[in-house]
Amino acid sequence: MKRFYLLVIALALLSLYALSLGAADVANVWRYITHPLFDINSPSHQIIWEIRAPRIAAAILVGSCLGIAGVLAQGSTNNPLADPAILGTSAGASVGVLAGVLLNVVTIGSVGAVICASIGALLATLFTFSLARSALQLITIGIGVSAILTAVVGLVLSMATRADARSVSFWSFGSLALVTPRTLLILLPILLVCGFLAWQVAPAVDLLSLGDESVRHIGHDAQKIRLRAFAILATLVAVTVSSVGSIAFLALAAPHIARYLVGPRNRTLIFYSAAIGALILLFADSASRALFPPNELPIGLLTSLLGAPILILTLKKGGDVWR
Amino acid sequence: MAMISLQDVAITRGRRLVIDGFSAALEAGTITAIVGPNGCGKSSLLAAIAGDIPLTRGEISLAGRDISEISLSQQAELRSVVLQNRNYWLSYTVREVIAMGQNRDAQQRMDAIIEVLNMTTFADQSVTTLSGGQAQRVEIARALIRDSEIYLLDEPLAAQDSQSKSRVISILQKLRDQGKTILVIAHSDKQSLSWCDHVIDTLA
Repeated sequence: MKRFYLLVIALALLSLYALSLGAADVANVWRYITHPLFDINSPSHQIIWEIRAPRIAAAILVGSCLGIAGVLAQGSTNNPLADPAILGTSAGASVGVLAGVLLNVVTIGSVGAVICASIGALLATLFTFSLARSALQLITIGIGVSAILTAVVGLVLSMATRADARSVSFWSFGSLALVTPRTLLILLPILLVCGFLAWQVAPAVDLLSLGDESVRHIGHDAQKIRLRAFAILATLVAVTVSSVGSIAFLALAAPHIARYLVGPRNRTLIFYSAAIGALILLFADSASRALFPPNELPIGLLTSLLGAPILILTLKKGGDVWR
Repeated sequence: MAMISLQDVAITRGRRLVIDGFSAALEAGTITAIVGPNGCGKSSLLAAIAGDIPLTRGEISLAGRDISEISLSQQAELRSVVLQNRNYWLSYTVREVIAMGQNRDAQQRMDAIIEVLNMTTFADQSVTTLSGGQAQRVEIARALIRDSEIYLLDEPLAAQDSQSKSRVISILQKLRDQGKTILVIAHSDKQSLSWCDHVIDTLA
């Protein structure tokens, strides 16, 4: 528990520091940060509290969603390689949003986009699920489904000639630049509800580590447990993809790092993986804004660059976590 | 009434008919071993009795009820299963793995089971650090901690040293004396199975 508090404190400190970072040079920046009601109508106040703050909150919420989705993906397939990108979930969400935007049904960041993404994510995940007959096949078939859908998104984006195609393609590589306060109103309730549902299903996901047959022998249906976990993770991934695009590597790395800290029990893991996902994404997004202003670096590259070394280190040190 | 009854059972794995026309009746309060060379289908037979694989033909019943007609949880109440070749991925402790999915009654037997299977020295260790024989005893503990009428064990002695072997045998014999029905799969020769009441050779 102490470690969890440390993670939350680190997250709070990093959030405060991130408020001071950005392309615009704000005079007296700490005065605005420590006094949120100071000089409310100034451009500086707007930059810090209406542009940076929502973006920081979004990084925390999206990072948490992906951290939990990763725990469910690895736990329910009983495989250390699983993440929502490999199961076809992320690509399915992308196809859903892309179809919605190009058919002029929704705009990125809207509730409609979340619904499109959820439909895409759920359909792709269920498609993978219906073809696979074992936990291992979920991974191999998921990789195939994911490859097909990613190719479809890429082809459609390169063929699209519309003015907004560029922003769609920007989004498809993952960026928190398009986040608005409205995005938070979608992210927060979904994170809370799915987080609770994940916490509920977690002990059953623990059982899956025994193998499907042993789960049967003690009276449970492994596929049913998996289906529950998949529905939750598809919703979590859908809300992140529809609001900030697909962000590489986070859902894979965060659960491993968390497991190194607290062991394999999924209930505890959910909290730690969420906090670690939030921390990495916030760090990556702050770096993407602060390193070469006014240009922003692609967030997916930074999450990989940051998450991968930590992942490799934890796996090297904690060799018996995943044998 | 036979606790485990198999009637004209046929099992197909892949495209091969591994078991064809197998019948047997196992009474309560007995230990039965099924023996045969590698690939003769004895593990498939155990999997079919456990309800893991469908039958190509025939009927299997536990305590007089056709297993295709009873629910997963009813089957779980009737029988406990020990599989072989256990491979653990995650670093749960031995106690955590044994407790997984068990009710409170079963969990109260935890210390006794750990004691009787001589697992006290590694009970709080991660299952990923265990030797083959230790991991197999964890599997045996997962089955024996459940209070079932029927125990199905796939090669429970294969990786055990002689001391552990005799411990497991005496536990199984005690259960038999309490009226439990025990089925063991083995590929050892019949002489070393003198502790069993019946030996069925799949080739015969």
